[in-house]
Amino acid sequence: MRKILMFTLLILAAMVTACGGGEEKDSNTLKVMLGSNAVSLDAAQATDSVSFELMADCIDGLTQMDSNGKAIPAIAESYDISEDGKTYTFHLRDAKWANGDEVTAEDFVFAWRRHCLESTKYAYIMGATVACVKNADAVTKKEAAPETLGISAPDSKTLVVELDAPVSFFPSLMCFPAFYPINEKFYNSLEKGTYGTSPETFLSNGAFTLTEYLPGTSNIRLQKNNSYWNAQNISLENLQYQVVSSSDNALTAFKNGTLNLVAINGNQVENVKNDADLSKNLKIIPTGLLQYLSFNQDAKNHHGGALANVNLRLAISNAIDRESLVNNYVTNGAQATYTAIPINFAPNAETGRFFAEDQKQFSDVVSFDVEKARRFFDAAKAELGKDIFDLDIIYANDSGDTVIKVAQAIKSQVEENLPGVILNLQPMPKAEYLDRVTTNSYDIAITNWAPDYDDPMTFLTLWTTEGSEISEHWSNLDYDRIITECTTGDLAANYNERWSAMYDAEEILLRNAVIAPLYTNASAVLISENVKGVDFHSVAIERVFKNVK
Amino acid sequence: MTKYVAKRILMAALTLFAITFVLFVLIRIMPGNPFPVERMSAEMILQKRLELGLDKPILVQFADYLKMLASGSFGNGTSLYNGAPIKPIMLKCLENSFKIGVISILFGTVVGLFIGIVAAMHRGKFLDGFCTVVSILGVCIPSYVFMIFLQYFFSYKIPFFPYFFDASNFLSSAVMPALSLSLFAISTVSRFTRNEMVEVMNSDYVKLAEAKGLYGWQLMRRHVLRNALIPIVTVIAPLVVDLLTGAMVIEKIYGINGVGKLMVDAIAGQGVDYNYVLALGIVFSALYIAIMLLLDILYGIIDPRIRLAAKEG
Amino acid sequence: MEKNYTPQKEDFQFITERNLEIDSTFTSQGYWRGVFVHFTKNKFAMTGVFLVSLIIIFAVFAPLLSSYAYDEIISVTDDAGKEIVAKSLPPQFSNAVAQDYFSAKTFIFGTDDMGRDLWTRTWQGARVSLIIAFVAIFIDMLIGTTYGLISGFFGGTVDNVLQRFIEIIGSIPTLVIISILAIFMPKGIGLVIASLLITEWIGMSKIARAECLKLKEREYVLASRTLGAGSFHIIFTQILPNTIGPIITQVMFSIPVAIFTEAFLSFVGVGIVLPQCSIGSLIEAGFNNITILPYQILPPISVLAILMLGFNLIGDGFREALAPKLENL
Repeated sequence: MRKILMFTLLILAAMVTACGGGEEKDSNTLKVMLGSNAVSLDAAQATDSVSFELMADCIDGLTQMDSNGKAIPAIAESYDISEDGKTYTFHLRDAKWANGDEVTAEDFVFAWRRHCLESTKYAYIMGATVACVKNADAVTKKEAAPETLGISAPDSKTLVVELDAPVSFFPSLMCFPAFYPINEKFYNSLEKGTYGTSPETFLSNGAFTLTEYLPGTSNIRLQKNNSYWNAQNISLENLQYQVVSSSDNALTAFKNGTLNLVAINGNQVENVKNDADLSKNLKIIPTGLLQYLSFNQDAKNHHGGALANVNLRLAISNAIDRESLVNNYVTNGAQATYTAIPINFAPNAETGRFFAEDQKQFSDVVSFDVEKARRFFDAAKAELGKDIFDLDIIYANDSGDTVIKVAQAIKSQVEENLPGVILNLQPMPKAEYLDRVTTNSYDIAITNWAPDYDDPMTFLTLWTTEGSEISEHWSNLDYDRIITECTTGDLAANYNERWSAMYDAEEILLRNAVIAPLYTNASAVLISENVKGVDFHSVAIERVFKNVK
Repeated sequence: MTKYVAKRILMAALTLFAITFVLFVLIRIMPGNPFPVERMSAEMILQKRLELGLDKPILVQFADYLKMLASGSFGNGTSLYNGAPIKPIMLKCLENSFKIGVISILFGTVVGLFIGIVAAMHRGKFLDGFCTVVSILGVCIPSYVFMIFLQYFFSYKIPFFPYFFDASNFLSSAVMPALSLSLFAISTVSRFTRNEMVEVMNSDYVKLAEAKGLYGWQLMRRHVLRNALIPIVTVIAPLVVDLLTGAMVIEKIYGINGVGKLMVDAIAGQGVDYNYVLALGIVFSALYIAIMLLLDILYGIIDPRIRLAAKEG
Repeated sequence: MEKNYTPQKEDFQFITERNLEIDSTFTSQGYWRGVFVHFTKNKFAMTGVFLVSLIIIFAVFAPLLSSYAYDEIISVTDDAGKEIVAKSLPPQFSNAVAQDYFSAKTFIFGTDDMGRDLWTRTWQGARVSLIIAFVAIFIDMLIGTTYGLISGFFGGTVDNVLQRFIEIIGSIPTLVIISILAIFMPKGIGLVIASLLITEWIGMSKIARAECLKLKEREYVLASRTLGAGSFHIIFTQILPNTIGPIITQVMFSIPVAIFTEAFLSFVGVGIVLPQCSIGSLIEAGFNNITILPYQILPPISVLAILMLGFNLIGDGFREALAPKLENL
C-alpha cells in the first residue's frame, strides 16, 4: 500500500512541476476561437464557413476580398472581359507554392475539373445557376469529358474561362474556395484521400501555412508564409485557432486572455453589455445568414401534406413575432427579417442599397399580425376540413443553444396564436436532420442558408423546382422561368432588369409562403483592443486575417 | 490454467467477430446517410451509394470489410474528414484519450482505495462520515460540471493550468480533465471498498486473526484487503473501459481531440460515418473484452475458489 | 430395547402438566419485520427517507400548486406593442413597490433564459427524472440480477454464452442503440427509458454474478443442495437475499448514472424534448451560462445532490438492516 501511495505522490509531484512551465507570450500571435471543427481543408468536401476561412487563410484564388468585401486582384494580376461578357482572360502574377513551385494556370484547370467531378454540395457553383462555366453541369453529371470544361491555360501565366452566360459577379465569385488552385504534381504525389488531412498533405500559396492540424482537432496553428507573393504586407506571424463549443467558455477564455477573438451567444452578449470594460471589446458583425422555416409541401409527406395548403403556411408565418424572437431570445444583434433575402446583403451596384433594405415590401403576406394569421388559419381549416394540425418541427441541435431557444419560442407563439396547431419539437443530430430533410420526412424544418456569393441568386436558386426537390417540394413554373432568365437567359446581361426580375421571383416565393423567413443572423464578437485589421464579411469567407496589424 | 486461458482467448476472438457483424448490420439500419447529404439530390445520393458499394448484399459487404480489416486497415472515412484513411486519425485520438484515461484510473483507484480503507478502519466515527460525504459528492457532481469549476478556478482565477488542452504541453493540460474524470471512480471505488471491507472485517476469520494479535495494516493487507478485492475489481474494470474510451463532454469543453468526441462526430456529424463507427466500435469492444478477460484471469489469481470452479466446468 | 422400534406419539409427553412460560421478549420475528425495525431505528437511513420523500413531495405537488406552468413563457406587451420576456431574472419575491414589469411577481429560483419560472421547472424536472430513474433502474435490477445470478450459479457453458451475449450488447455504443430505437418510437421519456434499459442492466448483472460466484461455494448453499433443493430454489431463496446488499448499493449508484445518461442524451439531441425538462436537461441548460447566470444551475444541482445523498443513506440503511451482523460492531 505504501508503495502505491508513494507512486501517486510521485505522479502528482511530476504533474505539478510540469505545470509551472511557461505560457509563451508572443505579441505577434493572434488566438482566435472557432465555433466548430473544420469539416475539411479540401474545397471539394468542405461545406462550412470554418473550413472556407481556413482555406482562405492558406490559399489565394484569382481574386480576394478587400476590407469592404470588394474583389481585388490576388493571383490574377489583372483580367480582361470579352465584349459579350462571356470570356474572362486572367493574367497571373509570379506567385509560388510553399514548396517553391510556381503557381500556374494549369493548377487552376486541374482544380476546377477536379471540383466538378468530386464535389458534392458545391458542385453546382460551377454550373448554370451560378458561375455558368461552360459545360460544367455536363461534366458534373459525367456526361462530358472533364477536358470540355470551359477553362483552359494557353500558357502557364494565362487562364481563359468561358461562360455560358455573362455573370455580373464573376470576379467576386473567384474569392470562393471552390475556385482555388491545387498544385497538381503535389496532389498526385499523395495517397488517395489524404489531401488536406495534415500540414504535410496540404500546400499553401497564400498568406499563411499550416503548422499544426489534424482532422477534427480542436487546436489549429498557422504561421506566416514567407514565400507568399504579398508577404511584405502581412504583419501577423502566428495564427492560432481553438475550437470552443460553449459560449460561456468562450467568454471566460477571452477575459482570461487565452483568446483574442471570440464569438458569443445572446446570454453572454447581454452580460457583456452590462460590463463597462468588456463592452468596449464587443462588436456586432452583421452576417448574411438567413434563418428560416422550411415547409414541406409534398402532399405525400408523412403527416398527410397539410402544409401543401398555402393558407396554413401563411397562417404560421404570420403568427410568429419575429421582433420578439430577436429581442428576447437571439439577442446577439440579429435582425427580424420579412423577406426571402437577408438584410445587409447584396448591395445594388448602382445605388448601393441592399437588396432587402425595404423590409415592408411584402408586409401583406409576411408580418406579425395575429388577426390576419387567424383569418388565414380559418381559410385553411375550411379548405382542409379539419381543425387540429399536429406538425413536427425538426432542427439540428448541434448548432448551439440559440436555435433551441428559437424553436421553443416559435412553438409557444404559434400554439398560442393559432389554437389548433400543435408543433412537436424534434431536435436531432445533424446527420439525422440532413437525412430527414433529404428524404422528405418532416413537416417544418428550422434551417438556414449563408450566401456563397454576393448576389440574391445564391438564395433564390434554392427554391427552383430542382433546388427545392431537396427540401420544400414546391414547384412553380413562373418562378423557374424568372430564375432561368436571370442566370442563363436574356436578363443575365441586363443588370437593372435582372435586379427587378429577382424581386418578382421573391414575391412569388413569399405570396406562396414557401418559406417563413425569421431573422438575419449577426455575429457578436469580442476582440482584444490591440488587435486591429480583422476583416469581417457577410459572404463566403467570414473573417480574413491578412490585414491584421 | 493455461488451457483455460487459451480457451478464453479463443472465445474472446469469436465474440469480437460476432460484435463486428452485429455492429456492421446495426449501423446500416441507423437513420442518416453514410456521407454528408446537405443539398444533394436523390440521383447524387444514389451514385454515392454505388461508389461505396452499398448496393451489394450485406454479406458480401461484410466479407469485403473483413478482407480490408485483415489487411490491417480500417478503410477510409465516408463522411468525416474527406475520406482520409481512418487509422492515423483514430490512433491520434486514442492516444489522447488513453493517456488521460490512464492517469484518471490510477489516480481514481488509488485515492478511492485509500479513502475506502480509511473509512472502513474508522467505521462509525467522524472519518467514516467524512469519507462517505466525499464519495457521495463524487457521484452527485457530474464530471463536466467539476471540470468547469476546475477550469474556472485554476485556469481563469488563478492561471496555473492552460485554459484549453494543449498536446505540446501534455502533462499540465492533462491534470484537470484527469482529475474530473477520476471523481466518479474515486467515489465508486471508495464506497465499494468500504462496504466490502466492513463485511470482511466482520467475518470469523478476521476476528480470529484479530484474536491472535494481528492489527492495523498487517491485518488489513493479509486478511481483509485480499478478500475485499474481488468485488472491487469488478467495479473498477468497467470504469477502466469507460475512462479509456473518452468522455465526450469533457473532451468538448477542454478541446481535447479524443475518441469520445470522434465517436459523436462519426454518429451525429454531417452524416453517419459507417467506417468510423465500425472502427471505433471494434476497438472499444476489443478493449472491453480484453479487460474482461484479464478480470476473469485475475479472479482466478485472487480467489482460488473460482479457479477450482473453472476447472470443474 | 427392541431392534426395530418405531417411536410412537405417546412416547413424547410432558412429564408434568404445567403452564409453559413463553418468552415473548425474544420470540423470533419475521425476517422482514426485523429488517423494518432495524431500518427505522437507523437515524441516517431515516434522514435519507426524509430527504427523498421531501423531494418526491415537492416533485408531485409543487408543479400543481405553482401559479405558472413549467413551459409557460412569462411575458408582457409594453405600450409600443413589444413583447418583453421575464428572462434570466435572479430569485425574487413579490415587491410591493413595483419598479419594472415583473417586480410584482415571485420567482423563488428566478427564471431561465426563456423567461420560464425555474421553481416550477425544477420540480417538474425532478418529477421526470425520478420517473425515468425509478422505472429504468427497477426493471434493470430485475433483469440484471436474474441474469447475473443464473450466469454465476450455473457457470460453465451457460455462463460462457450469457457473458458473451453481454459483451456483444455492451459493445454497441449507446448512441447507435438509441438512434436505432428512435426509428421505432417517438423521442421523449419512453425512448430514454428504453435505452437505459438496454444499457444499464449490464452493470447490475456483473455485480450479481460476482456475488453469486462468491456465495455459491458457501456451506449453506452446499447444505441446501445436499437436502435436495433445486438450482432455482437455491438461487432465489439462498443466494438472492444475500446479494441484495451489494445490489442495492449498485442501484443507488445507478440512479445518478441514469440521470446523467439522460442528460448526455439531451446533449446530443436524443433525450428529453424541450420544453419538457428533466434534472439532467436543466443542468445542461444552466451549464451553458454557468459563469454569468450561476443561479440557474444551482437548483437542479442541489436537488440532484439531495436526492443522491438521500438514496445513499437509504442504501446504507438497507444494507445494515438486511445483514444485521454489521450493526453489532
